[in-house]
Amino acid sequence: MPSNHIKPIIKKSLVSESEQIQLAIEMINLGARLQLLESQTSLSRERLISLYKELRGMSPPKGMLPFSTDWFLTWQPNIHSSIFFNIYIFMVKYAEVTGIQALIKAYKLYLQQVNQENVDEATLSMTRAWTLVRFVDSNMLKMHACSSCLGHFIVDSLDLNHAYVCNLCCVPSRAGKTKKLKEAHLNIMSASA
Amino acid sequence: MTDQEINDEIRDANLNYLMLAQQIIRCDMAIAMYRLGITKEIAELIVGLSSLQILKLSSSPSMLSRFRFDDSVILDMLTNYTKDYSLAQMHTSIIMASQTAESLS
Repeated sequence: MPSNHIKPIIKKSLVSESEQIQLAIEMINLGARLQLLESQTSLSRERLISLYKELRGMSPPKGMLPFSTDWFLTWQPNIHSSIFFNIYIFMVKYAEVTGIQALIKAYKLYLQQVNQENVDEATLSMTRAWTLVRFVDSNMLKMHACSSCLGHFIVDSLDLNHAYVCNLCCVPSRAGKTKKLKEAHLNIMSASA
Repeated sequence: MTDQEINDEIRDANLNYLMLAQQIIRCDMAIAMYRLGITKEIAELIVGLSSLQILKLSSSPSMLSRFRFDDSVILDMLTNYTKDYSLAQMHTSIIMASQTAESLS
């Protein structure tokens, strides 16, 4: 799989610069953070920050990116990252798109698949999707087929995945029953009463 | 439903399918390939069809597109989700994506 985090070398030209700005705009609209933008475009940090402010009306979030593989293995994030990564593999292998374009296209399809129109509310953010790709590239996480439904899911490379059963075939008790969902349910109940 | 009616409906579905496929391939080839579950060669072929060719192709009395799930066990499992509809949809997405990748290789 081609690695995503090598900065492309681009000659200085107006056309390529405008392409880079277009790419940055597309990524910012999909919710990408500054670190991702810096690694995938040749624009300077200052320009990216002003672009970000212009598009989103606020300063980009500061601080480090989340760096733990554990997040991708918890219940709901695992389902979402598995959807995304299946699409990403398809993009790279069969649609022959590479690098950041594969990530953008796969991420757009992921949003469609999970019915999330607002990128800020999506479980898997664009930046997390990129982190996931890097984790798989560096063999920390991998895809593994569920022994029951044969769907491919993200698992830890070092776990014992011999008879792996996915999070959807064997839903853990209380999974997905969040406070938010409970409140939404109560609201519906009280509205219909 | 008479035979004639069934034939007409199938032709209609074929025509709709081909026209829709052409439109989404024109929007974005890679994304269309995923959504339709087709290879690049087929996608390029469909997008190059003229209106006359589409009409001819769609007038066959059998369906041009085929069911995506080959495994009856999995299909049964997916349609028998009683608890949570959104979970069923996500499960379908994952299995469909995994199967598409396998069937295209």
